[in-house]
Amino acid sequence: MLSSFKTADQFTSGSGFWPSPFTDSGYIDAFTQVRLHEYVANTLLYAVGGTTGALTVALLAAYPLARYRFRGSGSITAAFSLALAVPLVGLATPEFFIMRELGLFNSRPGMVIFYAALMFPLSFVVLRSFLASLPPELEEAAHVDGAGYFAILRTIVLPLSRPALATVAVVSFVLIWNEFFFANLLTVSQRNQNVQLALAGFKSQFGSNVTGSLAGATLVMIVPVILFLLLQRQVIAGLTAGATK
Amino acid sequence: MVASRVPPGMARPVAVSIAPGAILFTVFFLAPFAVLIGSSFASWGGLDFTFTGWDNYQTMVQDPVFWKAVRNTLFYSAVSIVIQVPFGVVVGIILSQKLPGWRTFRTVIFVPFVISGAAYALVYAAFYNSRYGLLNQTLSVVGAGGKDWLYDTSTARSAVAATFAFIIGFTVILVMAEIASIPRELYEAAETDGASLLQQHLRITLPLLRNVIGTCILVRLLGDIGMFDVVFILTSGGPNDSTVTLALYAYRAYLDGAWGYANAVGTTILLIGLILIVTVRRAFRIGERAL
Repeated sequence: MLSSFKTADQFTSGSGFWPSPFTDSGYIDAFTQVRLHEYVANTLLYAVGGTTGALTVALLAAYPLARYRFRGSGSITAAFSLALAVPLVGLATPEFFIMRELGLFNSRPGMVIFYAALMFPLSFVVLRSFLASLPPELEEAAHVDGAGYFAILRTIVLPLSRPALATVAVVSFVLIWNEFFFANLLTVSQRNQNVQLALAGFKSQFGSNVTGSLAGATLVMIVPVILFLLLQRQVIAGLTAGATK
Repeated sequence: MVASRVPPGMARPVAVSIAPGAILFTVFFLAPFAVLIGSSFASWGGLDFTFTGWDNYQTMVQDPVFWKAVRNTLFYSAVSIVIQVPFGVVVGIILSQKLPGWRTFRTVIFVPFVISGAAYALVYAAFYNSRYGLLNQTLSVVGAGGKDWLYDTSTARSAVAATFAFIIGFTVILVMAEIASIPRELYEAAETDGASLLQQHLRITLPLLRNVIGTCILVRLLGDIGMFDVVFILTSGGPNDSTVTLALYAYRAYLDGAWGYANAVGTTILLIGLILIVTVRRAFRIGERAL
């Protein structure tokens, strides 16, 4: 058993272990009985919305904190970065409580906002260190020419940050796609749940429908795997930057 | 570059720019943190909220299941430190030799890292299945097997640990990136002095990897402390709580509506995390340059 990925492959393709008629029905079960596509739509919304939100908010905060030194700038940066090291499962009940008080519990917009917040520290840390390494001359020239802060941010900083943004976007998308704990904690209706919860449902709903659950697992794992194979450089750069900065 | 002062007239837009981040941070990190600590000293479930001092913590340390959760969480952490990270470091060093096919191999090793815990859990549930599972089918060829791996208190915990022990992609990537930054001259000098390949790696590579190894251990430990989805799906903490983790233990209390108690456990998780971070950073002198 060198890598478990191979085991997954052997299981789903090696139909020799089970009576062969069942192998195809697993995939049909995944869509007809569990309605996996509906969970996929939610998960895409959470991953794309959460990533976009986190990147926007993080870039807005990372730029001034990378460029300027002012009273409290050091503590704000330290606080935002420290959030990356907190084992968040410890905060389960408070997060539930706050989401409920804000009316965001068990709602799709609520989950998008929550995932944006969850991905904010990582995005912030990577973007800030990237922006700090950029020379400020272009921005200074634009400032002298009379461009305002947000104009500089949009026309100069945003295009220059593209490589870092792409990196964080891929990693953040995969992390939200794979997220289980808070999805389980903060959604109750099936129509708001993500694919990871659909997988857990496979196990309890079908009991012993092994092929059905393996078909589901394959479909759910295929998205981040393909994304990784296509954007290997970004994923690797993003993880390296996130871990060492 | 050195950060400069905020130019005149920019103070307002800078504040506006940081505000959304500050709001997210306050609402989803700072406020929950305050709720966590505060309510860990209270009996809290739904609408009732009464401060009870250290009661939750006292109940916690007297509960044998809590100590099982602590022991299991530490066991999973130990598997990370003793198997997962060292294995990843060795593979990373080997792949850095750039033998033919190393790129493909790196990709294959990294793929499991992007697969979710839930998907893994399902694959392993099938793998460990006592009747149809690949493990018992294989073992039966040599006349062994027949065990119900996940439902047997003597094997369940190791069976769970085996699901993540060999996911080494993250360590491999970081190790390879760090090795790429080591000057080749160091190895050439060692080679002219007659050092073997093994000696070169023991004397040059490993010491220079200190920072990265520390980082990998830290990231893994933070993951282990929060370990939830694989255990939740595979065993729900059973049999007889032999696989339960701290995160799962806290989650059970939350489900029971014992929120104050759940938060005492949550505070403990954060505290253990803090201690581990400080210890590992000290031990590996993370942040100081290696050269």
